[in-house]
Amino acid sequence: MADITLTATPVPKAGLLAAIAAVFRHRALSSAKVRLALLILVPILALTILAPVLPIQKPLETNLRAMMQFPSIEHVFGTDKMGRDIFSRTLAGVQVSLLVGFSVAAIALVLGMLLGTLAGFYGGLIDRAIMTVVDIFLAFPSLLLAIGLVSVMGTGIVPVILAISLADVPRFIRLQRSQVLSLRSRAFIDAARTVDASQYWLMTRHIVPNTIAAMLVAASIAAANAILVEASLSFLGLGIMPPQPSLGNIVRDGQTYLEQAWWISTLPGVVILLIAVGLHFLSDGVRELLDPRSR
Amino acid sequence: MAEYTAKKLAQMLVTVLGVVTLVFFTLRLIPGDAASAMAGDTLSGEALQVLREQMGLDEPLLTQYLGFLRNLAVVDLGETITTRIPIAELLLRALPITLSIALATIVVSVALSIPLGTLAAYMAHKGRNWLDNGLTGAAMIIDLMPSFWTALVLLLVFSLGLGWFPASGQLNWSDPWALVLRLALPVIVLSLSQVATLARITRTAVLEVLNEDYVRTARSLGWSELRVLFRHALKNAALPIATVVGLSFGNLLGGTVIVEFIFTIPGVGNLLIAGINSRDYQLVQTLIVLYALLFVVINFATDLIYKTLDPRVQF
Repeated sequence: MADITLTATPVPKAGLLAAIAAVFRHRALSSAKVRLALLILVPILALTILAPVLPIQKPLETNLRAMMQFPSIEHVFGTDKMGRDIFSRTLAGVQVSLLVGFSVAAIALVLGMLLGTLAGFYGGLIDRAIMTVVDIFLAFPSLLLAIGLVSVMGTGIVPVILAISLADVPRFIRLQRSQVLSLRSRAFIDAARTVDASQYWLMTRHIVPNTIAAMLVAASIAAANAILVEASLSFLGLGIMPPQPSLGNIVRDGQTYLEQAWWISTLPGVVILLIAVGLHFLSDGVRELLDPRSR
Repeated sequence: MAEYTAKKLAQMLVTVLGVVTLVFFTLRLIPGDAASAMAGDTLSGEALQVLREQMGLDEPLLTQYLGFLRNLAVVDLGETITTRIPIAELLLRALPITLSIALATIVVSVALSIPLGTLAAYMAHKGRNWLDNGLTGAAMIIDLMPSFWTALVLLLVFSLGLGWFPASGQLNWSDPWALVLRLALPVIVLSLSQVATLARITRTAVLEVLNEDYVRTARSLGWSELRVLFRHALKNAALPIATVVGLSFGNLLGGTVIVEFIFTIPGVGNLLIAGINSRDYQLVQTLIVLYALLFVVINFATDLIYKTLDPRVQF
């Protein structure tokens, strides 16, 4: 995903790599928040990747002799009305969640940086055109914008990713624009101008690299948010449709059996919460590492 | 103030026009068109053409667009395509329900979060951080909980387990107590995330004000702590709190869709989901415009309140 980010923006590689290097230079693991985030996210990620080789039932496999079973060693999260293993379905759902989260973050990051830089750097008509559209998008409550967009684009992973990204991009544009505006008037830009730096050089070498840190933090928050929105859409029956498992539609499936089999709905929800908390700590920790003032 | 109001009003109208235009043209992007998407495989040839004419899809795009604007301007919302019920009639029943839930949530969350946030700020100011730390941690977790999951957990514990609240059933407007019980869980679910946000903002705003000179002056005059806190600190912290209440209204509207769905409350949110499921684009476009309008109007009101609270604010 990171490669797409690099090739599709006018961002020199150095910018992104420098930001990541900065995180490690400040010894990322010395931050309690980053450690906590990794403590939560790494096991979830490992289980998700290892899911196909783990000794558990396949996510779509039914077993009519083990219907609605209480969590046990064999079925860690229990089973549903068709005897499907909830743990295995949850891991498959996490895969979808992570795909949606990272795709949305990448799309919002790329489009937001591109359009926000254009608006902030050139100003004038381009700025006014972009910001008018941004303001219109921001007039919609974001979950409702996503609901409206999937109602037009249909259900499934790709429409869900596009709908959530479209609802997120305006916020990224606005953030990037405000960063570019404040950087544009700084002394080092004037200094570069005095040595005849071209507009393109100013933008790609001096302005954009300085905006990356804040955008990466925003992107990781957007990823967590996208995972929650995808789950909400799928829960409402407007996102990812069964039998393809997603954390939202597993919870939806279990809603009918809340009284007889509470584990179907509640346990996958805990996993959503854990991922969101992990990403939140990660972005918080990275922000503190990148911003010397907050340390 | 009049000039400010006029300028904000003009801005709002431009945004509303943009919203309406965006919704109209987005719905025209549906592959095929709205009629064939709605009919699926059930209609063909002439029948589909009739549906198209009913929906006005056979007219030129500009005529459709102007017609849509005119109808909205005179609040002629048309009928649902599938059931032929006037949309205005559906809204008249659904909108009061959704607005009551939203309003109750705002009242409950403001009533809880302002004392909580002020207390946390006060204790942090005095060097006792445990409430502050606890509040910040809890607020973060609550903020990240998917609201549909919170709703199901509360439903499981308090309705199905303890039997304190009914999980479903008719909304009975003539029996206020039954109504309160029926709407309590949805309002609690929505209030949780609102309180998480608002208490944090209140805490930050009050803490900032507590370090100001005029608070020290007020103390030096020998006034009681409570009077200093409420008359001087909280009054000045009211600005950011009012703004956040306005801004979080968008999230609140999104939340109402989810709680209405879970607790089977016949509000606008359930209407929207039903509209999407039956591919009734007439209904869907009206409702999405309505949600955006509500949000825009609340933001407009927030701007005016802000200006009233702080006359120094410029455009």
